[in-house]
Amino acid sequence: MTATLNHPAKRSVTRTLDIPLNRVEGDLSIRVELDSGRVSEAWSSGTMYRGIENILLGRGPLDGLVITPRICGICSTAHLTAASKALDSISGIQPPPDAIRVRNLALMAELLQSDVRQTFLTFAADFTNGAYQRHPLHEEALRRYAPMKGETAIDVIRQTRKIVEIVAILGGQWPHSSYMVPGGVAGVPSLADLLQCQHLLAGYRAWYERRILGCSIDRWGEVRSGADLDNWLHECAAHRDSDLGFFIRFARQNGLDRIGGGHGNFISFGLLDLPPGTEVRSRNGSTTHLMGGGFARGAHITPFDPANVTEHVAHSWYVDYPAGRHPFEGETRPYATGEESQKYSWAKAPRYADLPAETGPLAEMVVSRNPLFADLLTSGPSVLTRQLARLVRPAELMPAMQQWLSEICPDGTFYDPASAITEGEGFGTVDAARGALGHWVRIEGGSIQRYQIITPTAWNGSPRDSGHVRGPWEEALIGTPVADPENPVEVGHVVRSFDPCLVCTVHALRGRCSLACRDL
Amino acid sequence: MKRIVCVGNRYKPEDASGVLVYDCLAATRLPPDVEVIDGGLAGLDLLRFVEKTDRVVFVDAVSGFGPPGTIVVLTREEAMGRTPVVYSHDAGLAYLLGVLQRVVDGPLPEIRVIGIEGVADGRVIRAAADLCIEIAVDGDAGEHGRLDQVAGASS
Repeated sequence: MTATLNHPAKRSVTRTLDIPLNRVEGDLSIRVELDSGRVSEAWSSGTMYRGIENILLGRGPLDGLVITPRICGICSTAHLTAASKALDSISGIQPPPDAIRVRNLALMAELLQSDVRQTFLTFAADFTNGAYQRHPLHEEALRRYAPMKGETAIDVIRQTRKIVEIVAILGGQWPHSSYMVPGGVAGVPSLADLLQCQHLLAGYRAWYERRILGCSIDRWGEVRSGADLDNWLHECAAHRDSDLGFFIRFARQNGLDRIGGGHGNFISFGLLDLPPGTEVRSRNGSTTHLMGGGFARGAHITPFDPANVTEHVAHSWYVDYPAGRHPFEGETRPYATGEESQKYSWAKAPRYADLPAETGPLAEMVVSRNPLFADLLTSGPSVLTRQLARLVRPAELMPAMQQWLSEICPDGTFYDPASAITEGEGFGTVDAARGALGHWVRIEGGSIQRYQIITPTAWNGSPRDSGHVRGPWEEALIGTPVADPENPVEVGHVVRSFDPCLVCTVHALRGRCSLACRDL
Repeated sequence: MKRIVCVGNRYKPEDASGVLVYDCLAATRLPPDVEVIDGGLAGLDLLRFVEKTDRVVFVDAVSGFGPPGTIVVLTREEAMGRTPVVYSHDAGLAYLLGVLQRVVDGPLPEIRVIGIEGVADGRVIRAAADLCIEIAVDGDAGEHGRLDQVAGASS
């Protein structure tokens, strides 16, 4: 981190901080300007070119099923799902209901792991930061979340390793499975497979209820407003001392309910397709998704229309085009020279109806009209509400998972043969661990002619667009107080509440003396 | 049972050496009782491959250990470093090795990490693959100075 003084003639000193968020991603850098101790400007820069979309050009239509899951080591199932759905749409085939259930269950296992790990191994690790050394809860935070040894941290690793075995059982391989294919899935789970998945899920649910919530999922479901949340917190020691209870207490006492607001626009592509005939019901009456997609601007929510998605590159290191382009017209032509003052990121700037939009669990809660989060957001989004949404999303998922596992018939149909895909255009959208993910694909002459991917972190961590409007977490940083510019832990809270994931690709051990990534 | 777990991303040349070794080993007749795993980018989820086994040899790209082409053999302690690593999306092998002792079910197996510096050519990959098999079968206990010899011979 470097700091320089700018504008010395101004009465209030402006200070620029360049913050490599190594702890989040080696390929994300945040630059902020501080004015009178608060963030007055922010720039988010993805510092590595990926080029996955260009790697796919000219390859066979099915190659996206193998290559795109390697975009990310954490959400490879989400990419596989999006790639499969894109090919489903080109071939015009609707996978059989049990194939949708199998696809969903694998994706949900990935979400269960990611939500809990991100909260307690990454986000809550900041609670042990030296900035809180004098806070009464600091000692308890260390006991729970100290890196590599905190009680909760160790327990989270032990439990979350088991739940993704569901992906291995249903997909036949873990990691980087490629068992989803256009028309369904490549394997048929046996009754023993399904029982094993039920056993794994029951164990994870019992642990999540005991350790994380401190109550049953049913009890948590009764929390439908801010007042309910206060009552729940003070109801008993089990609630107060659970990791959810501790998170709320620590976050409130340290002002995390007052920072990290942002634009107040939210997008969800829809969380988990509902298979026809299922007993699982959507919370918001959606007939297509467990949590229906949409776009929220404040309290105004409209259905998701994929035609409204565009990407801008005015401030990204790509060859310019005017305004934004729909991904079916999109291109990825790196252009890293010139215009240094304007272009500052390898991430493009996705926009919905030309507006920046936040995505992730909080967006899902808002768009699906979850009553608790609708109430909490009357005073605007914050770090606390954003992270709380992630922490309690598993409570929304596990009952549906148990129901779908019981609905699958091993003698049923899991694949509807798709004819060879030689021509066509289609897209696959999914809500992944970090939010809205889409693959837009065009096949010509039996090979991939265009492949455009918009990831959740492209939405959240986007640079400015052609109208010079900040991306979501750039905007969320504005106004954030920074007590110590040498240890800007508040900036880390804001950015990490979005669960940034720029790359997940370079996993090399670094030299002996530099293995430890410095704290923010 | 001994395992060779190959780690990395085949679409990033500077991080591909581990999975190139996997390709090499997958085309090789392995000794009985040795299993090779394409660990990809699984990071912490490789934990399950460390259990119910006597010895695990990880192979991964490294940086900062020597000139390109150098092969180093590290103990678990050497590879994990001395400072706790905070988990993140790019927390790879160092995090896994650091936390291993507290989270593994059953006894901790003997662990070695074979690191390959930089973008490696076929000769280096082959040498690393042979070394993986050798250490998986026989270990390297008692061969003092072995680490420097290997690094020197392959750089």
